[in-house]
Amino acid sequence: MNKEKINNYGATFKSSPAFYITTRLVVLFFIIIIIFPLLYTLSLSIRSPETVYSAKYFLIPEEFSFASYIDAFAYAEQRLKVTFPRMFLNSMVVVVSSVSLIIFLSIFAAFSFSHMKFPMKESLYNVMIASVAMPAQVLLIPMFYLLIYFGIINTYLAVILAYAGFLIPIGILILRMFFEQIPYELTEAGITDGASDLQLLTRILLPLAKPAIATCIILLFLDTWNEFVYAMIFMQDASIHTVPVALAKLGTSRYHINIGTYSAAVMITIIPVLIIFGVFQRWFIAGITMGALKH
Amino acid sequence: MISKKFQIKTIFYLFPALFIFLVFNVIPGLSSLVLSFFEFSGFETNLFQKFVGFENFVKIYHDKYFWIALKNTFLFVFGAVFIQTGIALMLSVFIFFGNFKYSVLVRSIMFFPCVLAPVSVGLVWKKILEQDGVLNAILGLDFSWLSTISIVMWLIITVNTWQWIGYNLVIYYAGLQSLNIELLEAADIDGANWSQKIFSIVIPLLWPTTILNMILNLIGGFRAFDIVYVLTRGGPAHYSEVLASYLYYYSFAAGGPNKMGVGSSVAFIIFACILTIALVRIIVMRKITN
Repeated sequence: MNKEKINNYGATFKSSPAFYITTRLVVLFFIIIIIFPLLYTLSLSIRSPETVYSAKYFLIPEEFSFASYIDAFAYAEQRLKVTFPRMFLNSMVVVVSSVSLIIFLSIFAAFSFSHMKFPMKESLYNVMIASVAMPAQVLLIPMFYLLIYFGIINTYLAVILAYAGFLIPIGILILRMFFEQIPYELTEAGITDGASDLQLLTRILLPLAKPAIATCIILLFLDTWNEFVYAMIFMQDASIHTVPVALAKLGTSRYHINIGTYSAAVMITIIPVLIIFGVFQRWFIAGITMGALKH
Repeated sequence: MISKKFQIKTIFYLFPALFIFLVFNVIPGLSSLVLSFFEFSGFETNLFQKFVGFENFVKIYHDKYFWIALKNTFLFVFGAVFIQTGIALMLSVFIFFGNFKYSVLVRSIMFFPCVLAPVSVGLVWKKILEQDGVLNAILGLDFSWLSTISIVMWLIITVNTWQWIGYNLVIYYAGLQSLNIELLEAADIDGANWSQKIFSIVIPLLWPTTILNMILNLIGGFRAFDIVYVLTRGGPAHYSEVLASYLYYYSFAAGGPNKMGVGSSVAFIIFACILTIALVRIIVMRKITN
């Protein structure tokens, strides 16, 4: 159905060669702009360290070599004080625990928003929506002292809780809207069958809400995996640095770094994301679109 | 609705999330506003000891770099709201109506930078823009891009646009897919050409999507920190500072003034900006729905 629709739209524009050529040229131009920096970094990273400065061919290396990747691993261990496996592990711990915490709590809270009554419900909900627009930096200074006060600064827990506080409204927002879209007849049937609230949630609503939960996971995964400010300030120990924090030190380090090593280090952080994106791209795009439309 | 009136058990469902939200979002947010009237730095235990009134605000009022940061933030937001949205609109219309064979692939490529960390993107571009980088090699120049005061902010905007254009693109694409086809067919019968159809039918119909994209970019624009931090660290000499990085510089940066009270007053100003925008948005939305 979708395909037919696109062809129909296109047919109205097909007759114009000017439009045909303009679209190709413009889109090609932008594709080159988007791809070139990434390909160029890749190309720098797979040159042998001696030929890395010869930009003669821009993209095609004179001499292939993975030496830069080995250098990058050594550089991370010596200068950044955290190995690549360790920073990926740190990121994983933070992301998996904060995302599961947020989703778990949001499910129950969204359920109470969509199916229960309590005082000040809508004003509380509006505060949550408003907080989504707030930049993370506004909370930075008080949060820093709060985490010191709780004695959890420089631990995973600091960043996990900070992410949870900051991102829980998004989870609640998406799940509430989805729960409310589920036909009332279904929940009503459950109630007349004598299901408890918890049964209603786990047996009827949650199985239907899988797409919404997937959307949440994607949005929260991206937000937390790429997050930089909180991770930098609340976990200052090099050994628990997440990927973006350790990587940022690379750019501002006072030690000299070979551009090949630098590019290899950047590529090590990009390649896993590229693979995940390649596998789940449809979900990513659908999730992001859905998340944006809920704003 | 399970229950028509408030029941105690609701608390058990709501409370855990609400607790985290209050403790790690609302309370720090409100304290930030209060703290902007106090002076404290670094390692103090009682932050609310030294009340200084509006002194922090007076301090940043007299700081030339605050005004630069404010100007840069608005410039950045302007770039995100108008340039980025504009390019995304053009690309989405071109891809959608251009009958591309590989339109899914094209969209995926353009979307890909959105899933990368801004830090990675910043590092990629930093090397390209460096004096011995590939941009100078291609153009045959020997120009220090990131240390030229007059263009450094535009470079940051360009890199940011490069990263987020795909985000607006897929949102526009969703808007285009739900477009009413009959109007276009009617225009065909009337003999309208492609530019007439785009400018007088498609773009006006996409107006709600455009508003949405602009709002998302507006919010994102005020958030921008990572890309500035990685590309320039606010340099050269604070000329590419935005409000968020100015806050960081005043409160946390090694070698900075380490004045967190002043940092809090910058947070207050960011808060005020966002709040104003949120109110304007509500008013605009009401007008649209009416």
